[in-house]
Amino acid sequence: MKPIKSQTGIGKWLPRKFDDVKAAGTLQFTDDLRFGPELLHAAVVRSPIAHGEILSIDFSQALEVAGVVKVLVGEDFPHHFGLYLQDRTPMAIGRVRYVGEPVALVVAQEENIAREAAKKVQVQYRELEAVFDPVKAATHSGVLVHPELHTYNHVDFVLPQPHTNIGNWFKIRKGNPEEAFENAAHVFEEVVTCPQIAHGFLETHCSICQQDIASGEITIWTSSQSAFTVRDIIAKGIGFPLHKIRVIAPPIGGGFGGKAGMTIEALGLAAAMHPEIRGRPVKLFIPREEDMLTSWVRQGYVARIRMALDEQHRITGIHNTFWFDTGVSAEYGANPVRSAGYTSMGSYNIPNVWSDCYAVYTNKPFGGAYRGFGLPELMSALEVVVDIVSHRLGISPVEFRKKNMMRKGDTTCTGMPMHDHGLQAIIDRVAKDIAVEKKEPALRPGWKRGKGIALAIKAPAMPADASSSAIVKLNGDGTVEVLAATMDMGQGTYTAYAQMVSEELSIPYEKIQVSFPDTKSHPYDWQTVASRSCWSMGMAVKRAAVDVRNQLLALFSEFWQTPVDTITLEYGTVMCRKLGKTSAIDEKVQNGFKMPDGMLKGGPIIGRGSFIPPDIVYPDPDTGQSPKSVVHFTLGAVGMDLEVDPTTGAIAINRVSSGYDVGKAITPANLRGQIEGGTLQGISACLMEGLAYDEKGKLLTPDFTDYKIATTLDTPGEIISFWEEVPEELSPYGNRGVGEHSMIAPAPAINNAVFNATGSRIHSYPLSRERVFKALKAQRNGENDFVEWPYALDVAFKKAKKKWD
Amino acid sequence: MPGKKEVWCTVNGKKTRLLAAGNTTLLQALRDIGVTSVKRGCEEGECGACTVILDGLPQKSCIVLAQEVEGATILTSEGLVQNGTLHPIQQAFIDEGAIQCGFCTPGMVLSTWALLQSNPNPTDEQIKQALSGNLCRCTGYAGIQRAVKKSAKLLAPKLQGGDSQ
Repeated sequence: MKPIKSQTGIGKWLPRKFDDVKAAGTLQFTDDLRFGPELLHAAVVRSPIAHGEILSIDFSQALEVAGVVKVLVGEDFPHHFGLYLQDRTPMAIGRVRYVGEPVALVVAQEENIAREAAKKVQVQYRELEAVFDPVKAATHSGVLVHPELHTYNHVDFVLPQPHTNIGNWFKIRKGNPEEAFENAAHVFEEVVTCPQIAHGFLETHCSICQQDIASGEITIWTSSQSAFTVRDIIAKGIGFPLHKIRVIAPPIGGGFGGKAGMTIEALGLAAAMHPEIRGRPVKLFIPREEDMLTSWVRQGYVARIRMALDEQHRITGIHNTFWFDTGVSAEYGANPVRSAGYTSMGSYNIPNVWSDCYAVYTNKPFGGAYRGFGLPELMSALEVVVDIVSHRLGISPVEFRKKNMMRKGDTTCTGMPMHDHGLQAIIDRVAKDIAVEKKEPALRPGWKRGKGIALAIKAPAMPADASSSAIVKLNGDGTVEVLAATMDMGQGTYTAYAQMVSEELSIPYEKIQVSFPDTKSHPYDWQTVASRSCWSMGMAVKRAAVDVRNQLLALFSEFWQTPVDTITLEYGTVMCRKLGKTSAIDEKVQNGFKMPDGMLKGGPIIGRGSFIPPDIVYPDPDTGQSPKSVVHFTLGAVGMDLEVDPTTGAIAINRVSSGYDVGKAITPANLRGQIEGGTLQGISACLMEGLAYDEKGKLLTPDFTDYKIATTLDTPGEIISFWEEVPEELSPYGNRGVGEHSMIAPAPAINNAVFNATGSRIHSYPLSRERVFKALKAQRNGENDFVEWPYALDVAFKKAKKKWD
Repeated sequence: MPGKKEVWCTVNGKKTRLLAAGNTTLLQALRDIGVTSVKRGCEEGECGACTVILDGLPQKSCIVLAQEVEGATILTSEGLVQNGTLHPIQQAFIDEGAIQCGFCTPGMVLSTWALLQSNPNPTDEQIKQALSGNLCRCTGYAGIQRAVKKSAKLLAPKLQGGDSQ
């Protein structure tokens, strides 16, 4: 007999936690919290130039505005912050490095007053030459974005190059790539470019900071994926004890990496900690146009990929150079670069690898975490190159991929063995769903129809010591509270955790509650990023639930005087069939069990669980090699069936098939949601997204009118989402991360399908109507390859692309 | 308060006083009285997270001035909840995976409500058109599309009943 019976455990379709209050609109996000008349509001004065010295800041007129309390400048809070590299101050000190950089903060009684007064702050600058193109910034530029780079603190696994614009350089040197290229039967070299893109979450950044006048304790309410990491970055930045910083993370309206790490919190804190303000809560709400200008972006890149093949069309070597445009800060952006680097082989078995990934500083908004964390970038280039190569060799892109894909036991580019996975079945299914080999007529008159596929791969990209912990509390009425400091930002992790607890304790799902993070009440978790939560925090939650179960069973064993293995947990009831006994989970679990000897035993039952990946070794800085560089990889594939309108350049997607090997589906409703949502986010990025700047570095796309994201009108005819379940060995239930993965392959799959439809290969994202139209026009002039890179004009891009080494 | 005017309107069935300066948006005025289901997503009419039903029509409350709503009837998603029971549209959003972060949801629900009032049996294309002013970054709109169709089915008997009277 199964000792634990639950109808609401792993794998069940259930109504998700908090969906009821989300539907009603009563769930309170950070901006919805109320603080009463004590609340002050801050507004930011921002740099209008991309690079320059601050000569003077005159805020006397701002101070004259009725209701203004204080104006602060960079020197008032001269602390450096950063997750991996402390290259950021909340406000510019002496020098501005991008259009939009905060130079002053106006604090007032009302938000409108702060905004109006901010316009009255006069700043004098001496403009300096700026650099916007990552290739130029890395190789040819006399402009240094951070001349002080050598003085910044950083973690060991990030390697800034002093006196250059390179914030991190990640290398792979595996096998003998030189020999592989010398002996190759075929060598191909291609370039792909992509601009920075924006997260486009619907809730902009918002935080409220307050410091107690007596204890000095700081409380921060913030729209963040990373309550504990905000706490830790701030503690390190200002030299403050952890226990005196409390971070409360209310529900957030979308994250996608854009609310990971520390974002705006230190800026608000600059005001809240000021002696004249201390004690009062200070709110900093970032309006949309400022948010688009001054929050993380996904890094743009210029990628060059060379590939060596033997006579049998096996990939024998790869040489990657990725110039990531990390903008003004690499404090977080250093790591997606590393993440892309240690997956330089993509989903393929390539014995010889030479890879250089650079995080390059430019005078633009700062690159950071974005759903997929380096892999949509890498794979949007690599999967296009693979497609090009297969066409040049004259074999089917599907067969070429299957022939070269990494199988169990093959080594990744960092030298770790690949685990088992279901990629082959996924490729077959995707190919079948879109009938990839079948040429079909377009559904729209005059349009051209094409099919394309692309593979996805990603490991959770995190430091080796990214840990999680959870507490599971049993209440006296048989309900449960779970403290797990993951941010449920819509992906639905609280639903998954409740299912895990139900699985282990048999208690019905609706009796299990999970609450939003508060560093004062919750035990530590690193961050809600990297598709790690259901895996890493899942381990902790499962362990905590098992801990509760063990305590419960031990107490009932003594209470009923029967061995533990005669007791079962069934749908929230404790039973011993042998003795014919049944008990609800009731006050006993809180107030103690009166044992046969008349003594009370037990007391409130609290379970605890901790987890840290046990065996991760940082790659060697010179070769990128490590026995185990990452915890696991999730693989998948996307197939696109689409049509192109040659007269307008428009692309319409008939059908997408998208599948991933998730190991085990904990919450199918979440999984479907992640696949559907990420697929459209990937389509949107591919077809319409790119931050555009003028020649002075001013953002031209600061709102949803100019920066288009997909609406209902841009949805595909059909999204097929499916998954394989080849279990992961070290995992709570065999599950692997999948939250980010659905965004990796849609863009290259579209690119490949557009080639299939038109014969034109577009090397620059996005594949906007304008660009597709131009590419098709170029095709009529005999150019089948189309490249556009706005900032490479001055390095004679087409000539330079062969000579970057 | 200097510069602010009293505006009387009906919010979710209750006679309500808003305090509004000349440049106060309806979005801000509603949030000031604690109606926070209307969200500040863009404050320039682009995202739809602040959608309300104003005298029967869906409007973006960030581009309506509060002083314009004197005497008007305003419905927000809180107002769809009756005696602790969610409206069938809200329930359909839950059932069909139309909700992730929930920030766009109140606006999306109201745009659906308005669509089904005027067109109880919309086609896929009509659903897409009606919701194209409400952005969602999480769901890919797939669950939302399912939820609208389900809502139409759930509400059909009710709406038809209403027509026959």
